[in-house]
Amino acid sequence: MLQAYRALKRNGVIGINERNVNYVGALNKRKLFVTVDDKLVTKRLAESVNIPTPELYGVIANARDMKKLPEMINHPDGFVVKPAQGSQGKGILVVDRPLKGGWRLASGRRIAIDVLKFQINNILSGMYSLGGQSDKALLEYRVKFDDVFGKVSYKGVPDIRVIVLKGIPVFAMLRLPTAESDGKANLHKGGVGVGIDMATGLTQQAMQFDQLIDLHPDTAHPLENIQAPFWDDILSMAARSYDVTGLGYIGVDVVLDQEKGPLLLELNARPGISIQIANRRGMRFVLEKAANLASAKLSTEERVAIAKTL
Amino acid sequence: MTTSLRHASILGLALIIVGFAIFLVKTISLNYPMSPGATAKVWDFEIYIELDGRNEPARIEAYIPASDVDRSLSGEAYYNGSFGLSLETDKAAGNRKAVWTYRYPSNRKVLRYTAQTLGEGEAAPLPLAFRESEPAVTPFEADVIRRQAFIVWSGNLRQRSADDQSFANLAVKAAFEDRASGEQYADEIAALLGDRPNTVGRLSLARRTLQSQGIPARIANGVFLTDARRRVEIRHWLEYHIGGKDFRYFPDGAPNRFFTIWYGEGDLVTASGVDNLEVQVALSARMGAAEDIAQQNANGRIGAMGRVIGFSGLPVTTQLVYKVLMTIPVGITLLVFLRQFIGVKTLGTFMPVLIGIAFRETALVNGILLFSLLVALGLALRFYLERLQLLLVPRLAVVLIFIVMTMAAITILLTGANQSIGLSISLFPMVILTMTIERMSIVWEETSASEAIKQGLGSLVVASIAYLAMSNTQIEYLMYQFPELLLVLMGICVLMGRYTGLRLSEFWRFRDLAK
Repeated sequence: MLQAYRALKRNGVIGINERNVNYVGALNKRKLFVTVDDKLVTKRLAESVNIPTPELYGVIANARDMKKLPEMINHPDGFVVKPAQGSQGKGILVVDRPLKGGWRLASGRRIAIDVLKFQINNILSGMYSLGGQSDKALLEYRVKFDDVFGKVSYKGVPDIRVIVLKGIPVFAMLRLPTAESDGKANLHKGGVGVGIDMATGLTQQAMQFDQLIDLHPDTAHPLENIQAPFWDDILSMAARSYDVTGLGYIGVDVVLDQEKGPLLLELNARPGISIQIANRRGMRFVLEKAANLASAKLSTEERVAIAKTL
Repeated sequence: MTTSLRHASILGLALIIVGFAIFLVKTISLNYPMSPGATAKVWDFEIYIELDGRNEPARIEAYIPASDVDRSLSGEAYYNGSFGLSLETDKAAGNRKAVWTYRYPSNRKVLRYTAQTLGEGEAAPLPLAFRESEPAVTPFEADVIRRQAFIVWSGNLRQRSADDQSFANLAVKAAFEDRASGEQYADEIAALLGDRPNTVGRLSLARRTLQSQGIPARIANGVFLTDARRRVEIRHWLEYHIGGKDFRYFPDGAPNRFFTIWYGEGDLVTASGVDNLEVQVALSARMGAAEDIAQQNANGRIGAMGRVIGFSGLPVTTQLVYKVLMTIPVGITLLVFLRQFIGVKTLGTFMPVLIGIAFRETALVNGILLFSLLVALGLALRFYLERLQLLLVPRLAVVLIFIVMTMAAITILLTGANQSIGLSISLFPMVILTMTIERMSIVWEETSASEAIKQGLGSLVVASIAYLAMSNTQIEYLMYQFPELLLVLMGICVLMGRYTGLRLSEFWRFRDLAK
């Protein structure tokens, strides 16, 4: 026990308590949370500084908007329904393509339009929002993910999570969906997290359910040494996300699209700490170093350059 | 250390220290017992006066214990009959008198004064005003013979003594010595005692002798709290103060505890206009709850504080409510510890504590069984409702109504089977149960069944621990009797709020990084 404690301390592993008090609590002003808690606001802010995001097909805020649903979702390539204020991927529906009068979900299940409407109504009534307050449903472009991660993904969309401290990207992780996670890239549901080397964008060790693994559990493909494309762009997007939100400690979720390149999916003001396991490295020393180097005068390029040296 | 951390640490520690300080004052200097059920001996004290009216204006004066002195006295009551009552206070002498008056009393009348007391011990300090009083130096000025005798007698005492202390010892001893005529100073003593060679007379002589040397002295009258009796003898003793120390001289031997009624050489009861006056002083002992007695009897500002910080002034039903309410912060503090230090996952933040409160009515095992049963049935319904695609609030309402129905059914069935646990289920918080079911089903669907069950079990474990703490009679007693402990709990929570170390569960979570 004491030995484990010393090892974790030496490694600089931080727990939820420390994240909450020293990072989320100290660096993220409460009133700025709205910029990340509402995905519609995040999208608008990102667009204002030319951070690309998935195209918005429509917003449903009430029953009247619901009538426009058929035309909003009239896309043969599918679409995504998500609550504007959802967290941890709750309430997200990924629709693949039309199927026999209904739709086929990414998981392979078929749903009818009234099930879809029910789901949207659940979103509107605040079932997935943080405080249970009423919410909006966003209808978005369904990302056609880049084949580079095709062999290590099982259904669903892989994404890249970058932790940004005061504008400097500090940690990155590739998140891969698995059969167990039902095609979602969330780690607590069984998604695989793969550490990414900040300097090169090459993947390193991997983990699932907080334990180290080498192969993807479904495709049995090795997870190490895959090059994340557009790595500099991704770091740059992550760094700029700080400028538009003003939040000192955020998780930036980026997805890679076949045609459109990296797209900002969402921002998280309370990013999880499992990323330490995926990178086999505690965050404390890196975070402290970045905090010392951070300064308002640095340009985006300078911050990306610092990120690669951490 | 950041300023916010320092601020929180100082506040947390300050709250803990203040809370503990009040707690310690109450337990150590005000004698509040630390555990429930402790008892102490209380004495019921009564002055009972019987008299025959003579059909002429009557006035009965009785000394009653002064309430402003440093001792315990409570529950005073007067039984006046048709008499008028007025109270007179003589601050200088430290006496209080009840004066009963009536214009034309006829036949037999009864007057009573009662009070409760813990009494005084020899360690009780004499009042400051008495210690600093400057007594008259020359007694017996009017009577030449006595004055002469006094000068001879006190001169001799002075000669044989070295200081005030030894002078006082000699004087008190000499005043109670019987000397056959012909012995030295026998005539002087006889002259000084005059027609009062009794205890009061001798005490009076000793008092005058001490006062002539500038030593504060007075005669106290009261009862010894030795045994309970209908007729208790009035005792007299001498109190004096020399060189920063208090002394009491009991001619009849020092008792364990005593109770002073009045000072001076007057009689307990004086009456005019009545016949056949009969006075009785009665004592009876009983055991009382020590905390009540401590609270009632505490004196001065600190004692008043003990009474203000407490619930004894509230109606009994409200007191019972607070007995339960005061334990909730204990459960909450435990919950904070289990979450921040151990890392137990629960459904909802304070839900486990509320479930723990419900367990008070059902007891632990039954509570867990009933809770699990209701949640399981509710979950089943919730999964069925999922298919009907109801809106959120109506769906919650359906689940809540179902919970009430199930609770009613269980009560009726179990009561029919003569099982008393059926009745207690009705006290389960149904809204909390409904929210628990809703939250659990969302976790079930959104994350996994195992996660939902893990959180459900975590909630039950926390609820059980909170229940065990909250239903502990010692903890309940401490929280109720010492509400200042809330400050301690608050301080602990403030400090825990700045805990940034790893949780116990995170040792397991990061086990691969600890290798």
